[in-house]
Amino acid sequence: MIALRLRGLVKRFGATTAVAGIDLDIPAGSFYGVVGPNGAGKTTTLSMATGLLLPDAGTVHVHDVDVWRRPRDAAPLLGVLPDGLRLFDRLTGPELISYSGLLRGMDRDVLAARRDDLVTALDLAGAGSTLVKDYSAGMTKKVALACALVHAPRVLVLDEPFEAVDPVSATAIRGILRGFVAAGGTVVLSSHVMALVEQVCDHVAVVGGGRVLAAGSLEEVRAGQDLESRFVALLGGTREQTDLAWLRPSSG
Amino acid sequence: MLRRALAAEPWRLVLLVLGAVWALLTVPSVLGGMTWVSLQSPDVAHDVLVVGGTLLLLGWAVVPVLVPGLDDSLDVRRFATTGIAPARLVPGLLLASLLGVPTAFTAMLTLAPVVAWGAPGRGAAQLAAVAMAPVLLVTCVATARVSTGLLARLLGARRSREVALGAALTAVVGLVVVVRQARRLGLEGVLEGVPEVAAVLGWTPLAAGWSAPALLAAGDVAGAVGQMLVAVAGAAGALTAWAVLLRWTLVRPPSRAERARRRRDSLLAARPGTVPGGSRTTAPRPGLVAARAVALRGLRSWTADPRYTSALVAAVALPVVVVLLAATVVDAPAAVVLSMALLMAGTIAWGRHNDTAFDGSAHWLHVVARVPGWADRAGRAGATLVWALPLVVGVGVLGALVSGRPELAPASVGAAVYVLGAGLAVSAVSSATLVYPVPAPGASPYATQVGALGASLVAQLVTSLATAALCLPVTALYAVVLWWEPGLAWAVLVAGLLGGAGLVAAGVAVGGQVYDTRAVRLLARLE
Repeated sequence: MIALRLRGLVKRFGATTAVAGIDLDIPAGSFYGVVGPNGAGKTTTLSMATGLLLPDAGTVHVHDVDVWRRPRDAAPLLGVLPDGLRLFDRLTGPELISYSGLLRGMDRDVLAARRDDLVTALDLAGAGSTLVKDYSAGMTKKVALACALVHAPRVLVLDEPFEAVDPVSATAIRGILRGFVAAGGTVVLSSHVMALVEQVCDHVAVVGGGRVLAAGSLEEVRAGQDLESRFVALLGGTREQTDLAWLRPSSG
Repeated sequence: MLRRALAAEPWRLVLLVLGAVWALLTVPSVLGGMTWVSLQSPDVAHDVLVVGGTLLLLGWAVVPVLVPGLDDSLDVRRFATTGIAPARLVPGLLLASLLGVPTAFTAMLTLAPVVAWGAPGRGAAQLAAVAMAPVLLVTCVATARVSTGLLARLLGARRSREVALGAALTAVVGLVVVVRQARRLGLEGVLEGVPEVAAVLGWTPLAAGWSAPALLAAGDVAGAVGQMLVAVAGAAGALTAWAVLLRWTLVRPPSRAERARRRRDSLLAARPGTVPGGSRTTAPRPGLVAARAVALRGLRSWTADPRYTSALVAAVALPVVVVLLAATVVDAPAAVVLSMALLMAGTIAWGRHNDTAFDGSAHWLHVVARVPGWADRAGRAGATLVWALPLVVGVGVLGALVSGRPELAPASVGAAVYVLGAGLAVSAVSSATLVYPVPAPGASPYATQVGALGASLVAQLVTSLATAALCLPVTALYAVVLWWEPGLAWAVLVAGLLGGAGLVAAGVAVGGQVYDTRAVRLLARLE
C-alpha cells in the first residue's frame, strides 16, 4: 500500500524551477529518507506534499486522499514538521502542544493526557513553564515535533528533524519514530546527513536539481557502496578541488 | 540611507513630496500668525509662543509613539553589530534624523519667533530667537527618539502589561480631571489661567527657549539669560538621555527580556475528576474548539507581544489625546467627550486589519491543521472583543456621565459597539486579503518594514474607507440623537448592538470563505 504518492510535482519561483517534476511512491510502514544537497528542492517538495505550498502542477495523495482536492480529509492523516517556518513563541511548550491539538478539534481529556505523555517522552518537562521564545533551537524542534505527533497521524513528514537536536534527544526521537513505524505508521524525513539516514531509514530517495535521481529500498539505492559515495556519484562525482593555497595560518 | 530607502520605495517619495507641499502651504499662515504676534505686547506674545512651543514638543514626544512606522529614521539596533561607539553614533544619527519633512517643518516653526520679534526696537529678542531655534529643534528631535526608545524598552520587558494598563488608566483619569476643571472654569476661566501656566512653563526645558526672547523684549535680561541656559541644558539633557539609551540598547538588546514563567497550561486547563483517555479523540464541535483556542492564544499575544501591547496603548491613548485636543479647540466639549468611545472602538477594531500578518508565526499551524476559515476568523475577533467590548462600553458610559448627559449613555454605548463590530468585520475580511509585512515577533514595534509602504498604504486606505462606510448609518443616527433628538438614545443602543453583532457574524462568514480559499497563498506571502 502506498502511504504518500507524488505525481509530476512542479514548483517554480519566478525564473528558477525549484522542483521539476517529481514522482515518488512512499510505501506504508516505511521509514523513508529524502536526501539531497542544499537547494535540491527537498523542503519545497515536502511542503507541497503536506499542503503547505501550492504546487504549480502535479498531485499528492495520502492514503489515497488527494491533499489538494480534499484538504480537510487529508489533514488528520498527516503530521508535519516544517523547516524554516517560525513557531508561534508566546506560549509555553505544553501550551503549544495543546494548541495544535485544539486546532484539530481534539477532545480535551484525550488531548491533556497525550500532551503530558509527549512532554515526558521528549523530555520537555524541565522547560514546561518557559515560553517557547526562550527555548534553544533543539528544544524548539522537539516541541514542533510534539505538535506534529499529538493528533496521532498515519504519515509523519519531518523536514530536517534532527538539526540542532542534541544526541540524547536525537536518540529519544529515533526511538519514538521507530516505535511509530513498527506500529504501522509511515515516516518521511529529509536530511543531508547520510550516516543518519543510513542508520534509521529503510527506504531512500536521492533528490538533486528538483528531480528524483534514485529511489527505492536502502539496499537498492546503495548498490553495494555506502550511501555517501553513491550519493556523490549520483550527483555527478567529486568536483576538482580548488586549492586554497592562501588558507594557511602562516600566509597572513 | 535615505536615498536607499527612496530607491526601494517610490511611495515614500510621494509621501515625502506631499508632506513637503503641505509644509510649504502652511508657511504663509504661520508667518501671518507670527506677524500678528509681533504686534502684541511681549506678555501676550510670550504666552502664545510658550503654549504653542510646549504643544509642539509634546507632539514630538507623543506622535511617533502613537503612530508606529512614521518614524522613518534609523533603527539603532542595526548598528549593534558594527561596534561603533555610541558617542560617535549620536551626532551621525542626529544629522540623519534632521533630514525629513517633519524636521524641516519644525525647523521652520522654531525659526518663526524671529518674525514674531520683528517689530522695531526688539532686535535683541530677535537675535535671541535666532540663537534658540537650533536648540529647540534638537530638543524636539532628541525627545522623540527618547520617547520611542524608552517605550520600546518598556514594552519589551516583562512588565509590559502593567505599563499598558497604567497608561490607559492615567489617560482616563487625566481626561476626567481636565474635563471637570474645564467645566468648572468655563472657557474664559481657562484662558485666564494661561499666563500663570505659561510663566511656569517658561522656566522648564519644555518651553524655556520660546520664552527667553520675550523676557528680553520685556527688558528682563537676567531672566532671559537664565531661561536660555535652561533651554540649552534641556537640549543637552535630551541628547544625553538619547545617548544613554543608545548605549543601553547596543549593549543589551531589548528583545532579550527576562524569562516569563507560566505554570499552568492556560489553553487546556486540567479538569479534575475526569478520567483521561475517553473513547472519542475528536470533540463534538471541532470548529468551536479551534475558535476558542485561537481566541485564547490571541489574548496571550495582547499581553506578551510588544507589537500588540504597543498597538493596545496607541488604540486606547490616541482617542483620548485627540478628544482632549479637540475639546480645547471646539466649543462643544460634550459632543467631543461623547465621541471618545466611538473613536476608541474604531481605532481598536481597525488596528486588527492586518492581524494575520502580525500573527504570521502561528499561521502554518492553522494551515497544517486545516482550521475552518470561520473558526480562525471568529477566534481572532473574539480575542479582541473579550477586552474591547467592556472597555468601549465603560468609556461610553463614563463619557456620558462626565459630560453631564447621562441620558445619552445608551446611544454612546450602542454607537461604540456598532463601530467595534463594523471595524472587526472589515478586519476579518481584510486580514485574509490585503496582507502586508510587519515587524517580526520580538522586534521593536516601531521598526519600519522596508518595501512594504505601498502595500500597507493601500490596505490601510481601503480598510479605513470600508470601516467608515459601514459605520455611517449608526454614527449618523448617533449624531441626530446628540444634537436634535435625545429621545432616540435607546433606539441607537438596540440598533448598535444588533447591527454590531450582525456585522461581526457577517465578517466572520465572509472572511472565513476568503480565508479558506487563500490560506495557503497567505502562508507563502507571510514568509
